[in-house]
Amino acid sequence: MSKPSDLVQGTLDLLLLKIVALQPMNGWAISQRLKQISGDVLQVSDGSLYPSLHKLEQEGWITAEWKPSENNRRAKFYSLTRLGRQHMEKEAANWSRLSAAISHIVRLEEA
Amino acid sequence: MRPQHWLYTIPLRLRSLFRRRRVEQELNEELQFHLERKIEEGIANGLSPKEARYAAMRAMDGLEQRKEEMRDMRRIHWLTDFLDDARFAIRSLRRTSGLTAFVVITLALGIGMTSATFSMVDALIFRPYPVPHPSGVLSLVSTTHDSNLDDFSYREYLDIRSKTKSYDGVIANADMEAVGFSAEPGATPRVRGGMMVSGNYFHVLGVEPRLGRGFREDEDQVPGRNAVVVLGPDFWKHEFASDPSVLGRTIGLNGADFTVIGVVPETFPGMLVFGHPDFYMPLAMARAFATNPQKNFFEDRDDRELKVKARLKPGTTLQQARNELAVLAQNFESEYPKVNRNRGAAVYTQFETRTREDLNWKFGVIFVILALAVLLVACTNVAGLLLSRARARTREIAVRLAIGAGRFRLIRLLLTESLILASLGGLAGIVIGYGVVQWFQSFQNVIFMTDLPFSIPFRMDTRVLLASLALSALSALLCGLAPALQSTRVDLVNGLKSADVDVPGRKRLWGRNVLVVAQVAASLMLLTASFLMVRGFQNTLREGASFAKDHLLMVSFDPRLVQYNPAQTQQFYKLLAERVRVAPGVESEALTQNIPLGIDDFDGIAFVPEGFQMPRDRENFNSTMDTVDEGYFETMGIPILRGRGFLASDTADAPRVAVVNEQFAKHYWPGRWWRL
Repeated sequence: MSKPSDLVQGTLDLLLLKIVALQPMNGWAISQRLKQISGDVLQVSDGSLYPSLHKLEQEGWITAEWKPSENNRRAKFYSLTRLGRQHMEKEAANWSRLSAAISHIVRLEEA
Repeated sequence: MRPQHWLYTIPLRLRSLFRRRRVEQELNEELQFHLERKIEEGIANGLSPKEARYAAMRAMDGLEQRKEEMRDMRRIHWLTDFLDDARFAIRSLRRTSGLTAFVVITLALGIGMTSATFSMVDALIFRPYPVPHPSGVLSLVSTTHDSNLDDFSYREYLDIRSKTKSYDGVIANADMEAVGFSAEPGATPRVRGGMMVSGNYFHVLGVEPRLGRGFREDEDQVPGRNAVVVLGPDFWKHEFASDPSVLGRTIGLNGADFTVIGVVPETFPGMLVFGHPDFYMPLAMARAFATNPQKNFFEDRDDRELKVKARLKPGTTLQQARNELAVLAQNFESEYPKVNRNRGAAVYTQFETRTREDLNWKFGVIFVILALAVLLVACTNVAGLLLSRARARTREIAVRLAIGAGRFRLIRLLLTESLILASLGGLAGIVIGYGVVQWFQSFQNVIFMTDLPFSIPFRMDTRVLLASLALSALSALLCGLAPALQSTRVDLVNGLKSADVDVPGRKRLWGRNVLVVAQVAASLMLLTASFLMVRGFQNTLREGASFAKDHLLMVSFDPRLVQYNPAQTQQFYKLLAERVRVAPGVESEALTQNIPLGIDDFDGIAFVPEGFQMPRDRENFNSTMDTVDEGYFETMGIPILRGRGFLASDTADAPRVAVVNEQFAKHYWPGRWWRL
């Protein structure tokens, strides 16, 4: 099970980009933040987090830098690139459009 | 992907490739950092260190698999896998060095033969003109009613030039001709090859002279006014030792003085496939050079001696150019019915020109097909060998499959092996091809028995090299695919038990049967083809030269080159024959227009055989003829089977007579050819 089944394909990428956009963060902090903001609704296993991060890095959307973490251990901090920001904005717009359309339809059925 | 994207990703890929260890280390460190935090968190939540560690590992969902996934994200594993495969393949090929050498040599012969013959076809058909934007250069040809190609006359050229709108310039050139060249006026002339070209020739083709200048338009307008000459690159090098002061010097061409105004660069050896003109003269100087003495080059519309080429205007289609010229040809026909009846005109691309003007390329294509057949046999041969090698490796392959290697991955490994074999074969083949091409070149002087600058155009250039490499890749697939497919279809249980299993059944033997059938079929075809060719050559050698070849010497003259008129020419030959006849050691002598098996074409002649039933749609037949004197048949040792040969009394005033050959008589007068 490498991909979180309850996340729409490609959404994890968007979430990760959004989180990293706020400030440069290491993998551990990203996993904590994911849990914290989405509660238990979005279950992202530690296992699928790192391949996704590496994919984003290899695409050139985020870039990594080794820096001391809060407890002075060396950690890999990810931050958003210019290219990543463009991609994120595009994806976010797509997502809003899609989710708006879907919730619209869902509400129609209720009425 | 956008180039902007590559700016980010290419350095990343390169880093993954060349700093592999560093990247691996960082990957481990990153995961380690995460696990430690997770364990700390677990302990803080009250778990024992052991439990916390276990929970952290579980959250990872299989640490090693995750690492593999992260490595896959680097998108270079196709390359690293290939390198690993190649390394492994080289090791295992080295272990069976005898077999490897055999396979490489087999493939090298196949690929070498094919690339050598392809270099022939390339030179004869495909090699572009040595000018900028060669594909825009088209050939304009005159066509006769039986759709033979013909040249244009000077008048026709001028009309085409002024009345067409599809081109950025229309150029013309005469054939390369023997010219008597003397480096200084008055020195004994030597025969060199010169070509008359229109004044815009170099300009339209885009050839920038390396020294001096090309012709100006006005130098090609008044007949006989501008005696200027542009030198070819090789000629300048060999005749003038690349001396730049040659500009402005006066040289003698056919007894007239010409001023050197420019030198063509090395990159432009000329537009011909075989010939490389030593020098170029303007068309307006035609009177100094060998043109048809019965015609007026500048006036007669049927004195067709010019090849016309043109550069298509950007934005104009080939079809437009064709239509335009077709209309012009119709106008010619209605305006000059006497000389243009049933004549058309056509526009050809370089490919069309090369395949229509000269038919030698067909031999090249035949050779390429034969060589490809050899390569095919070589490939099936190699496939057979690889197959038997794969059988010996059944256990290795079974083990690989058993521990989880995918079949596709194994096929890739085996194909990498054959790719390496084929690459080695290809490299060796290129060396062999190069040798064969050099060997062709050594026939230079045998093929072209002339002082004119002809050379064999075959060479191993980039295009031929690329073709050879593509061929290597193809043969890798051809000889590697069948063994790879078959050997990865092993019965695992049996494969693991013994080193050599032969699963009973037809399926397993299928590949090998196909191989044997293909090999035998191709070999048979090759044997038949080469047998027929050898027999053909033998027959030609035995029968073809049905004249006495020994103790026969030949020399040719062209008195027109020194401006002899017809009467002087006649006198010259008469004196020549008389003097040769009395020379010591001479048994007999003869004059002939052409020599048998020479490089010049015989003249064509139309004839109507007496008493022969003509086919309904023909008025006459065409054949070739030669003009000879009364000593010819005796000197050449050609027997007269019936009737008589020519006599000194067969002069212009005597009744007209001709001699036909046996073949002709048997064909047109069967059954009565002995009653002539």
